[in-house]
Amino acid sequence: MTMPDANHEAFVDRLLERTGLLPAATIPILQGIQHEYRHLPEPALRRVSEVTGIRLSDLIGVATFYHQFRLREVGLHTMRVCHGTACHVKGSENIHNHIHRQLQIYDGHDTCPDNEFTVERVACLGCCTLAPVVQVDHTTYGNLTADTIGVMVEDFRATRHETIADVDTVASRRNGHGAEIRVGLGSCCMAKGSDELFHLLRRIVKDFGIDAPVKRVGCVGMCHQTPIVEVRLPGGPVAFYAKVGPGEAEGIVRRHFRPMSVRRRFARWIDRTLEQLVTADGGLEKISRHTLDTSGKAVTAFMERQIRIATEGFGEMDPLDLDEYLAQHGFAALGQVLGRDPEETIAAITKSGLRGRGGAGFPTGVKWLRVREAQSHDSVKHVIVNGDEGDPGAFMDRMLMESFPYRVIEGMLISAYCVGAEEGYIYVRAEYPRAVSRLREVIRRMEERRFLGNGIMGGKFNFKLHIFEGAGAFVCGEETALIESIEGRRGIPRMKPPYPSDCGLWQRPTLINNVETFTMVPWIVRNGAAAFAAHGTEKSKGTKVFALAGKIDRAGLIEVPMGITVREIVEDIGGGVPNGKKFKAVQIGGPSGGCIPSALDHTPVDFEALASAGAIMGSGGLIVLDEDDCMVDMARYFMSFLRDESCGQCTFCRIGTTRMYEILDKICQGKGRRADLDELTQLAALTTQGSICGLGRTAPNPVITTLRYFRDEYKAHIAGRCPAGKCKPLIQYVVQDNCTGCTLCAQHCPVNAIPLTPYRRHRINTDLCTRCDVCRVDCPENAITVMSGGVECPGHSHTEPLPEPLAKHE
Amino acid sequence: MNNPITLTIDGQSVTVPSGSTVLDAARRLGLNIPTLCHLADVKENRPSCMACVVRIGNDTRLSPACSTKVTAGMVVASETPEVKAARKAAMELLFSDHLGDCISVCQRVCPARLQIPAAIRLVAAGRMREAIALVKENVVFPGVLGRICRAPCQAGCRRGKYDGAVAIQLIEREVANQDMSAAEPFLPACAPPTGKRIAIVGAGATGLSAAFFLMQDGHHCTVFDDHAEPGGQMRYGVPETELPRAVLDGEIEVIKRLGLELRLNTRLGRDVHLAELRRKFDAVIIAVGNMQKTDPAGLGVEATARTIRIDASTYQTSVHGVFAAGSAIRSGYDPARSVGDGRILAECVDGFLKGRTHHVAHKEFTSTIPKMPLEEYQELAKGSVATLSVRELITEAETAAGRCCHCDCRSAHNCRLRILAENYEVDPKAYMGEHRRKFEFIRQPAGVIFEPGKCITCGICVELAAQSRAPLGLTFIGRGFDLKIGVPLNGPLADGLQQVAEDCVRHCPTGALTFEDELRNVIKNSSRP
Repeated sequence: MTMPDANHEAFVDRLLERTGLLPAATIPILQGIQHEYRHLPEPALRRVSEVTGIRLSDLIGVATFYHQFRLREVGLHTMRVCHGTACHVKGSENIHNHIHRQLQIYDGHDTCPDNEFTVERVACLGCCTLAPVVQVDHTTYGNLTADTIGVMVEDFRATRHETIADVDTVASRRNGHGAEIRVGLGSCCMAKGSDELFHLLRRIVKDFGIDAPVKRVGCVGMCHQTPIVEVRLPGGPVAFYAKVGPGEAEGIVRRHFRPMSVRRRFARWIDRTLEQLVTADGGLEKISRHTLDTSGKAVTAFMERQIRIATEGFGEMDPLDLDEYLAQHGFAALGQVLGRDPEETIAAITKSGLRGRGGAGFPTGVKWLRVREAQSHDSVKHVIVNGDEGDPGAFMDRMLMESFPYRVIEGMLISAYCVGAEEGYIYVRAEYPRAVSRLREVIRRMEERRFLGNGIMGGKFNFKLHIFEGAGAFVCGEETALIESIEGRRGIPRMKPPYPSDCGLWQRPTLINNVETFTMVPWIVRNGAAAFAAHGTEKSKGTKVFALAGKIDRAGLIEVPMGITVREIVEDIGGGVPNGKKFKAVQIGGPSGGCIPSALDHTPVDFEALASAGAIMGSGGLIVLDEDDCMVDMARYFMSFLRDESCGQCTFCRIGTTRMYEILDKICQGKGRRADLDELTQLAALTTQGSICGLGRTAPNPVITTLRYFRDEYKAHIAGRCPAGKCKPLIQYVVQDNCTGCTLCAQHCPVNAIPLTPYRRHRINTDLCTRCDVCRVDCPENAITVMSGGVECPGHSHTEPLPEPLAKHE
Repeated sequence: MNNPITLTIDGQSVTVPSGSTVLDAARRLGLNIPTLCHLADVKENRPSCMACVVRIGNDTRLSPACSTKVTAGMVVASETPEVKAARKAAMELLFSDHLGDCISVCQRVCPARLQIPAAIRLVAAGRMREAIALVKENVVFPGVLGRICRAPCQAGCRRGKYDGAVAIQLIEREVANQDMSAAEPFLPACAPPTGKRIAIVGAGATGLSAAFFLMQDGHHCTVFDDHAEPGGQMRYGVPETELPRAVLDGEIEVIKRLGLELRLNTRLGRDVHLAELRRKFDAVIIAVGNMQKTDPAGLGVEATARTIRIDASTYQTSVHGVFAAGSAIRSGYDPARSVGDGRILAECVDGFLKGRTHHVAHKEFTSTIPKMPLEEYQELAKGSVATLSVRELITEAETAAGRCCHCDCRSAHNCRLRILAENYEVDPKAYMGEHRRKFEFIRQPAGVIFEPGKCITCGICVELAAQSRAPLGLTFIGRGFDLKIGVPLNGPLADGLQQVAEDCVRHCPTGALTFEDELRNVIKNSSRP
């Protein structure tokens, strides 16, 4: 037994003063310890148990359930490799292997020999448009390639002591003239450096004495163009600049504003000149490249099909500015609701046809009415916002919480008033620290101004709102698992019935809705049920927010009317598949969803239509796949995710997902047999009907849809060929005749599988080759091709453009 | 809360108090819905095994009966082929992640079905009198087989792949020797006479063995043999250097003492005829051994050139009430098989005389550990009783017994998973995956053995420990497929369990938790209706 340590004791005692001693505080307590020590030291856990009376077995049970907690010590820094869907299709597995090789981590270890880095897998960081993504401590690096991993490590070492001031601590400012410089500051924009740009623009504006505030705004939606700067002048045209680098900030300001004071301008000029001499960073001439013509075809196409309900005011509002929110009809809906009979509001929500946006599509009004009518043993009821957006490849809820925190809470308050609840929680996923900090700040401001707490808006309605940070468990997106989690236990789903509407948090009637559902409520109240129902299809009304990512030209966050077809989203809004490749399928709905093939791209986005195509609406992740993507590999990817994320309670899900994964893995390795397809079908059917919760019941969907639409690919694998050229055991890299013998491939091969033969055609030693793809990407002649079963894989024959510059955010 | 609720299960109407589960209601109807993870009043509403699934109404899903509350008018499908197939699949999935041999390899390959590991445990504990009793439940000639058996058990011994097989044959011989040198050799009790008479032709291993067990069942046995002395091949085919006649005589003497009637120098077909025997006796057994001296055609039963034809599931020949076994039904002589045949034959004939149709269970259900790597053999070797070597007056057999790793399952006789698997005709290899658990054998201070490989994470022990407020308790560790049960911070199980250890072992639905001194996990020779 480890000796009790006075430091641990003192820390734990202080922590417990903050969290309280109740078992429900288990997760916050463990989070506090993990935050301090970066793992959970045994003496600290023993102390917690001693003081709180929470048994060690319960602490360990919880600690080992959630990804966030570690019982072993970790390296000095944590490198989290994102394995979300978008990252997966863009090669995160290769990136992970390269990192291991670079840091000399071998044989199942996760920490490099000198203990500098611990490398972890993370299900999804929600920066899908920057895929592949790696997060080192708090710095996010995107668009990684094998070659830039070294750059990333060096950059991190060089800059880890620098810290950028938190953009959210900057006070909101407005001026009377209406001139503004707007910078989008969602998490993924920030991963591309928009916060650095924000600070830089503020400094420039201040130095120049320009009377125009630099304004923090939420997500702009055009993730493929970030960082985006928008310059607005009173009466003048609106100018957009896309993919703005720090070097271009000054040029943009100078193009639109005249510096006020000569003295300041001069001082500034001296500074900049000196700096430019050092960095040789051109200014003005670069700008035109980044000017985004908003009347241009691309932007219009991206924008024109979108309808803004949940994302009303996108790219315009400061997410933290309460006054601005009020000026944009904020809390007007709440005000209306507080003045009338709750049943009227519920009737309006029902009439609007709003259905839960978390995936299942249960009618929102019906759910509210159930909770309203349910009897509570102590007359207390709860409302919970489900912000545990766990689907890899989905980041809509994060964006809504980061960009429209007031609206999320307003929707929640409306529901709370309607169902008669006075206490609630926003459950936010562990991987979304920015959403948590913004929500905390917003709650503080709302409490100050009486939009939360007692006597809301001067009336009799009281509401106490808590934030609960998840600890890393996909299954907690399931409502009953989420409730277990808030109560301080392992996130094991409960048997339903009873449903949470009758017996939820602390056995009380509980309303749980998804973030997006709540976000739509204020608009519906203000504009009326009919206005909402005017959009969409017969059974699926209104709009849906999607995270569009993967092999698509214009990735981003979009809000579209229900009923829009998959093709319209991919081709019209997203601009189709880049690099001349063929559109193959969309993966919709995350791990519980399915792949809709390009042949069915006329499928409308509507709860019923998607379900009949074998997918589900899900929370709204939409990953576009092209001919380079192997569908068996996709099925295996999701099954591997679900196997890890299953809570492990019931047999069909715990063992069924694992066995399905093993069969898929076998097929990807070329060791599959025809009988395996039958066994897969059988296991899928069993897991669907025999699992307890939604996770298990929908887990086989990726297998079922790929088997349904891409059976030929399965058969090809069984015959020893991967048509997409993705499954490593089934492919070989071959140097073709047009090799000029430039030796680049030989130099870059990380395993020395290519002997250096200058001016002669190179050869790849297939036995040594790890199929890491470095040589093919690096070959200037495109002389390296991927062969499978003696056939060239067509997807790899096209020239790929140079990778985007490494994106970075602190 | 106690308004009665009426529902329908498989078309039968049943009324139960509100708050009851579908399982309660089904049990009231006498339906035997299988359960593993369920423990009434301890663990409810946390289903995990899914062996109890039923279909409610038209629901596309299946629901666990143990945790589904009844509602008025509910329509439940329980014993339908489709629901039963799902239950079977749930168990097959559990077996795919259940690492253990229900029956040890040695016992599985023993033609005489000797209860090897259990007998060895008794020997190792120095309980020789009990050991001979256990041995003689199946093998009437341990002294003989201890000398002339080909010992396939030793070839199959798991320890053999590690550092040499356990000397099982030596142990068997020693058990027999000790018994014979005792003042009162072991004599089994016999049931009250049934009045039934059985004629057994052939006083070899098969015939005498059958007589031994049939007499215990209360039947009268008359054995005919054309030799001057009983023993068949054991006496006339094996040199005395290999098998001292005193040993054989000693073991035959025990059979005689049960009341055996011997008619020697009597040859079937010459001195007696089958039809006559069939007339005079209630049943006839043909155990004439090697058929070279007998004309099969002349016997009056269907036969090929060398062997008599029997129904493999009843050992009955073409003539009603006439049975055959031993070398008469197969080519080649294997003393252990002949001895085992006698045992099986006795079951069949006893069943026949009591008016039951007895079917031989050719294969008892067992799950099997697939190929083991060396480190797992080392882990397995932890199962041996190392403390033996310090005992005084240790015999050679006890030393050998101390090497046995007891790779059989100490809960094989009462493991619920195994019992249900037999009922549902589960194929334990149906979903065998690529990856399996590691073999682990954890000996706990309080005499508890924990084999995580056998755990199905039902959580009963976790719940029992929690409810007893054991300070440390047990917990689920991890999640998904890697979910396991353990003591927090890798403490010993005894610390976690403390006073509930016994409860936990008792309620464990598999052999994951057992007591080390569970000596007699005897699987009764099973028969299927």
